Amino acid sequence: MIVAEQKPIAEIKDIVAPYSRLLVLGCGTCVKTCFAGGEDEVATMASALRLAFKKDGKSIKVEELTVERQCEDEFIQQAAPCVARNHAVLSLACGVGVQMVASRFTRIPVLPGVNTTFMGQLEKPGLFVERCLGCGDCILDDFAGICPMSRCSKKLLNGPCGGSQNGKCEVSPDIDCAWQTIIERFKAFGQMDRLTRYYPPRNWSRSYAGGPRKLVREDHMV
Amino acid sequence: MALSVAKAISAKGKGFKPRITVFHCVSALTDASVLDSSGCDIQVVKMPCGIATREVFLLRALESGADAVVALVCPEGQCRHLQGNIRAAKRVARMKKLVDEIGLDGRRLNLFNISRGDAQAAERAIKQTASDVASLGPNPAA
Repeated sequence: MIVAEQKPIAEIKDIVAPYSRLLVLGCGTCVKTCFAGGEDEVATMASALRLAFKKDGKSIKVEELTVERQCEDEFIQQAAPCVARNHAVLSLACGVGVQMVASRFTRIPVLPGVNTTFMGQLEKPGLFVERCLGCGDCILDDFAGICPMSRCSKKLLNGPCGGSQNGKCEVSPDIDCAWQTIIERFKAFGQMDRLTRYYPPRNWSRSYAGGPRKLVREDHMV
Repeated sequence: MALSVAKAISAKGKGFKPRITVFHCVSALTDASVLDSSGCDIQVVKMPCGIATREVFLLRALESGADAVVALVCPEGQCRHLQGNIRAAKRVARMKKLVDEIGLDGRRLNLFNISRGDAQAAERAIKQTASDVASLGPNPAA
């Protein structure tokens, strides 16, 4: 899922200050799961903004709505009547959702309420960890299902670096050494010989380094 | 304690009767009428467990005119749903921080652990909150 965290309330207050009618628009998918922009967070954010402005003696009307997904047009359409009643939209979706809403409703400012952080997984309740860079050329099969690009601090394809201690990265004891995990998994498979392979430098043109990416599926185009 | 509350209230202006919204777990506080003697305007919300202390409820109470919001939950290790009180404490702590950032003063939100049937502890919790609120004055966002 895409992991995001809410911006500080002071920053959001500054962003929305010029508008007297605001729609706080949540997204019921990834940002709901990471507690940044689901229905509960929308309600809390709306309440916090009303309190913050009222305390300053300013009047703001805040409406709340959460759609199933802000990255799909068919769900955003449901927000049209609410958007029409307001002067701006504070989107609590990821950067994709914010831009999707902005492209759908071109005459109204769409403002970001969260910082989109990474693609990750819920490791345990309350802990989200990065697991994918979206490099565009998956090589997980060569690394026992552990991605050295997203999980090794040094992004080493030919590891380990030798700096880890007790399975923890030398960059931070909070980070598990990706290469330790790779080696342990290959040991368990009985495939340690795969570690003898040398990996040449990667072609990053398929990642974000190659410019904005597109995926075309002709079979789904009509 | 009651005397200090009275002094603080008079210091902030005569006639200020703090309005306090109390969310309480039915196991922590069995009879909310014990809070009537606090001298405050008390609004009571009964919950099946402290876990029902949702963040938005705390803010909505402030929006609705409460000068302070109190959550009364069971002591740690005594929640019959295991972690309801711990989660409530974390939510209140998070909202205290947010209320501070807004500029309303986080002391308007409080959580107290109350053993089942300890009405005196509940009364003390309300009096302590009333004392804090009296020094802060009415909720400016009410």
